[in-house]
Amino acid sequence: VHRFFTVACLLTIFISDLQHTDAQDTVRVRGGLQVLYTFEAGQGYTVFDRSASDTTLNLKIANKDAVKWLDGALQVNSATTIKSAAPARKIIDFAKRTRGLTVEAWVNPANDRQDGPARMVTISGNTSRRNFTLGQDANYYDVRLRTTVTTTNGIPSTATPSGTATPRLTHVLFTRHADGTTRIFINGEQQATAQIKGDFGNWDDGFTLSLADEASGGRPWLGTLHLVAIYSRPLSTKEVTQNYTAGPGAKTGEMLAQRRHEQFFESKIAPLFAKNCLGCHGAASHKGMLNLARRTDAFKGGESGKVILAGKPNESLLIEHVISGDMPPEGPALTETEINDLQQWIKNGAVWTVDVIDQALYANNRPIEIWLQRLTISEYIGTVQQTIGVDIAEQATTLLPPDIRADGFSNTAYNLNVDLKHIETYAHLAEQIVQQVDVAKFAARFSKSRKLSTDDTMRDFVADMGGWILRGPLDDREISIYSGIATTIASTGGSYDEAVGLIIEAMIQSPRFIYRVEHQRGDGSAWPVNDYEMASRISYILWGTSPDQQLMQAAKDGRLQDATNVAAQVKRMLENPLAKIQSARFITEWLDLDRLENLQPDAKRFPAWNASLAQDMQRETVAFFQDIVWQQKRPLADLFNAQFTYATPRLAKFYGFALQTNSAENELQRYDLSDVPERGGFLTHASTLTVGGDDASMVTRGLFVLNDILRGAVNDPPPGLDTTPVPAKKGLSQRSIAEKRIANSACTGCHSKFEPLAFGLEQFNGIGVFNNHDEHGNKLRADGEILFPGTATAIKYKSASELMDLLANNKRVQETMTWKLTQFALGRPLTAADAQITNQIHTAAWANKGTYQDLITAILTSELVMLTRTQTE
Amino acid sequence: MSVKTIDRRTMLKGVGSISIGLPLLEEMIQPAVAATKDDVPIRAFNIFFGLGIPAPLQAEGFDDVLEPLKPLGEKLLIMRNVNQIRCDESGINAHYDGAAGAFTASAPDGEARAGGASIEQLVRHAHYPAGQPTGVVPTLVGGTFFRRSRVGRYIHSYNKDGTVAATIQEKPRDLFARVFGSVTLASGSKDARRRVLKQSVLDSVVDDFRFYTGANSPLGAKSKSRIADHLDRIREYEQRAFALDTDPNAPKRPRRSEIPHGGASDPGGQGIDITLEQLTTEWRLLADLYALSIQMDRVRFGSLTFLAAGERIRLTGEYEYDGKHRWSFDDARQQNASGDQGCSHEWWHKFNEAHMKMREVAYFLHQLNDKDSLEVNDRTIMENSMITISTESGDGRHNDVKRELSGVFHAITGANGRFKTGQIMDVGAEGIDVYNTMLGAMGVKDQLGSDDRDNQTIDQIRA
Repeated sequence: VHRFFTVACLLTIFISDLQHTDAQDTVRVRGGLQVLYTFEAGQGYTVFDRSASDTTLNLKIANKDAVKWLDGALQVNSATTIKSAAPARKIIDFAKRTRGLTVEAWVNPANDRQDGPARMVTISGNTSRRNFTLGQDANYYDVRLRTTVTTTNGIPSTATPSGTATPRLTHVLFTRHADGTTRIFINGEQQATAQIKGDFGNWDDGFTLSLADEASGGRPWLGTLHLVAIYSRPLSTKEVTQNYTAGPGAKTGEMLAQRRHEQFFESKIAPLFAKNCLGCHGAASHKGMLNLARRTDAFKGGESGKVILAGKPNESLLIEHVISGDMPPEGPALTETEINDLQQWIKNGAVWTVDVIDQALYANNRPIEIWLQRLTISEYIGTVQQTIGVDIAEQATTLLPPDIRADGFSNTAYNLNVDLKHIETYAHLAEQIVQQVDVAKFAARFSKSRKLSTDDTMRDFVADMGGWILRGPLDDREISIYSGIATTIASTGGSYDEAVGLIIEAMIQSPRFIYRVEHQRGDGSAWPVNDYEMASRISYILWGTSPDQQLMQAAKDGRLQDATNVAAQVKRMLENPLAKIQSARFITEWLDLDRLENLQPDAKRFPAWNASLAQDMQRETVAFFQDIVWQQKRPLADLFNAQFTYATPRLAKFYGFALQTNSAENELQRYDLSDVPERGGFLTHASTLTVGGDDASMVTRGLFVLNDILRGAVNDPPPGLDTTPVPAKKGLSQRSIAEKRIANSACTGCHSKFEPLAFGLEQFNGIGVFNNHDEHGNKLRADGEILFPGTATAIKYKSASELMDLLANNKRVQETMTWKLTQFALGRPLTAADAQITNQIHTAAWANKGTYQDLITAILTSELVMLTRTQTE
Repeated sequence: MSVKTIDRRTMLKGVGSISIGLPLLEEMIQPAVAATKDDVPIRAFNIFFGLGIPAPLQAEGFDDVLEPLKPLGEKLLIMRNVNQIRCDESGINAHYDGAAGAFTASAPDGEARAGGASIEQLVRHAHYPAGQPTGVVPTLVGGTFFRRSRVGRYIHSYNKDGTVAATIQEKPRDLFARVFGSVTLASGSKDARRRVLKQSVLDSVVDDFRFYTGANSPLGAKSKSRIADHLDRIREYEQRAFALDTDPNAPKRPRRSEIPHGGASDPGGQGIDITLEQLTTEWRLLADLYALSIQMDRVRFGSLTFLAAGERIRLTGEYEYDGKHRWSFDDARQQNASGDQGCSHEWWHKFNEAHMKMREVAYFLHQLNDKDSLEVNDRTIMENSMITISTESGDGRHNDVKRELSGVFHAITGANGRFKTGQIMDVGAEGIDVYNTMLGAMGVKDQLGSDDRDNQTIDQIRA
């Protein structure tokens, strides 16, 4: 089950929703909720916003004598304003992006005669200028919604039939879809619908939110308010029913308190444990029989008994030990703030939200940083192809400086910087691109006019063509800038085609072409990306290129704010070969397969090695991946143990496979490995086995598995340690060297976590050849054991194939694939703050088959993609 | 190969086996910006050499590995016992950590980012808040290196947000083009009308970029800074494309480098085979070009790298100094190993090959200390600049269990009389305090490290 459009602060409440699906009929819809007033204060001048978003929009009652507080309701007996002190920016900003809106109220009108309409819920300036108003006009409800095609007063409006507004407790819900469809539901039944086209681009940012009267007064509504909610998206009929069924008395106080406690644990306590406690009291090394990583074990306690007594900090041993300084025994003591946090946490019930605290999550924790993404070289090439229809691959690859790999991927946004060479190359390429395009034919796609004069025709042309090339509508500023080029051409006696060519040149050097520009400023919370931003996110993540016309049309129609629609687009786009090409980029980057292009194993030790063979190895892994993902559509976990591979005759000979007939020198053939038990899965490919260097280092291979397959964490070697590798010799294999390290009490804490991971690969030498003995005659084995992060007991395996099966079936390994693909999709390293949504993605993908298609769909319909965290500066 | 300082006027006729054919005419040596007598430009450079000088070897003064610096000793302050902060991040290599801490005194922030600004960038921003004069490259980063798994190993100029201050120029030809190259219009057209139109295109692009750096930009702070960088580069491009490409004195570019670059120069951390002749020829050409860039006032800030942190090369060749044979490099054979284990990576900790590195660092400094480097105040560029020389490890084998980066070698120039020179000083201080003292002496208000740190001023290094 997926639900979308929640703001960041609500993301985890949304989880709570899911956890209560058995009682869903009593739970209100949370996704996209901007403000919620439940009138629970019982006294005073303030109506509190209970939406639990980062920024609340409380309302002030101007005349307290005009109202009467009831149990969970506010009765308005005479005219008064109930208004926000500040403009309702969060509602306005969100609605502008989504072009969707829902206004909901549980009300009991005082009569069926008040009109004007009488303002029930309004974001407006005065009686004739508004963004929207939900009102009562005698015996029906009326909604005035201002768009770019209505009057400033929101006319034409959407109205329910006569007789629908009566003095009784009523659920009134107005919802507007981005395509212009408006609907009003009364008590869960649709009573009105209309088409109000246009968007909210002309909404006034300065309007406040008011209840029970116009902001300027003069249109009072009398009656009782039980609940008012506004969402930044349309609600479906099912969701309308859900809110209606939930009733007017939905209390939020307890739920919010619980959520605050959960957030406190996630933001304060879990990182504190990870940093200070889990090194000794974790799953692997639970000193004193105390495991503070796992919830059940933590509350069970250790040798000294229970250490956490919920609600009783003064009786909890944990607090006693940290205050006395006994814990942690090494390193700096906890700060006063940290101790206070622990006390506060226990006092509030020691709320614990996860089964196991993932230490790796906090190992290199840092806040999420939002950088705009420059197009990588491949994205630039793909975008030029998609938008202009020109293949610039050869020139761009040759001329543009390479994108440098950072944090495991070369599309990491913070590292996609620019230098003079970029600028020069963009300019050169722009000119070459225009030279290769049929300018007249291209221009005709957007305009029949061929007038050079910068009248409206030219401006419209620039707007249309720019909207396509720059992946979204242009504003007046941009239209003026690019139309200005036509003026210059005209003044020098140039032609229409010349002008178009130069405008294209300018556009493809502009920020909106070179970068994936998005609106990043806001209140610091997560906002929905707009439709065009979403279109770009989908296409760059899925294809590595710009949106096609269908996706742009979906954006134009406002159909990309809805997860179902997004999923439909993703399904369509997965059929395009571009998706396959992009997936190959992912596996290449994850496993750093480009490394093979430069490998130079010692020629004396490995005379069989050559550049062609290295290329075959690289291609083997990509072809294997493509077969699993695209031909067979198998679960991604099968990448670890599928019993087949691809090889050229050269590589097959290198591996010792029986050669297949009729294959050309560089042609990859599929090989069934059912009878080759030592191989199967990409970890038995030479491409990944070479990661250990000439000497097939257990340390390097083990760390590769730990870091890139298990998403584990291990500390640096201690200072003063001689890390010079010990060479193997007769009677001393790499394994026996590793076993000595593991047996050493000073080393075992870390080395036991990763070196045994490589034992199963011991029989493969530095370039991936399978042997029973090493070059010194030492017998090689494949048995070992694996300790999955977060678990306490190592699992033994007897062979490489058993190791591969263990990896394939392990949840941690599968989660790592989710994390890696999500990181690649987002173009930034993931942080602890991403963990919860990433886990949702994982759950959603693996609830299906766990295929690449499942996973990429879950990513693209997740809040990590459909929302963006805004910045206040 | 013996050490031989190559005269700037003749250097481009041939360095080692490379001839770059530059007719270095007197009239070509025109600075981009004319300095007045009272206006010696503020300059700052970071010089990094990989793999350090073991702390015990520093104690020998100029009698051991520091011998090549002796002729420059009066113009250098050699600082011993400078302790870098512990830069380790879990799972990250200590050499990388140390390199990222050099010149920044902060732990790295991920694989491709420093923890904060490098000192020369803070000087740049303090003294040129509105940008440097036209024709000056904002920051020049160059280097000869063969370990490139993380940029912190070889790049030593960082912006305040920790991102690299400029793309590194590793090939001499590219560095030359970055400084002296006149970018050309793709069409190469001299047609005046065409140039007007191209200028119009560029104007439009600049206008659009400018919006994204302004108050109404929809972008957050980090993204805006990236766009601002882009805009700066466009302006530089514009200046070159439309103003310099007719310079009759534009030198010809050097010939193509003959050693591996890019991915080929680092086969997955396994090291490459290279001769001393190849290494020093490449480095000296790069050093010559970098020095020339400074002398011609095309560059005032940046960094230069001689070998990466944790460098991995298998070096062969005969090493001579002052006409005498000092050492035969043959790493793989001497260690009886191949691949990464046959590299000098481990080797250089144990013996005094640091002498060779100092010879090469001194080579660069000599270029800024010759008669062509005399400035209006009768000091050389070397004396007038703030040149900081450092490395990523000090105690050789990281023997201090508490402070693995203790005793990191540092040497600085006088910065136009701001710092003492002619001494080998036991500073006994934190690197961050040394750097902050240097910044203070350079008139920079920004300091490295957190605001609440109790900074110690190291007055003994100030003149």
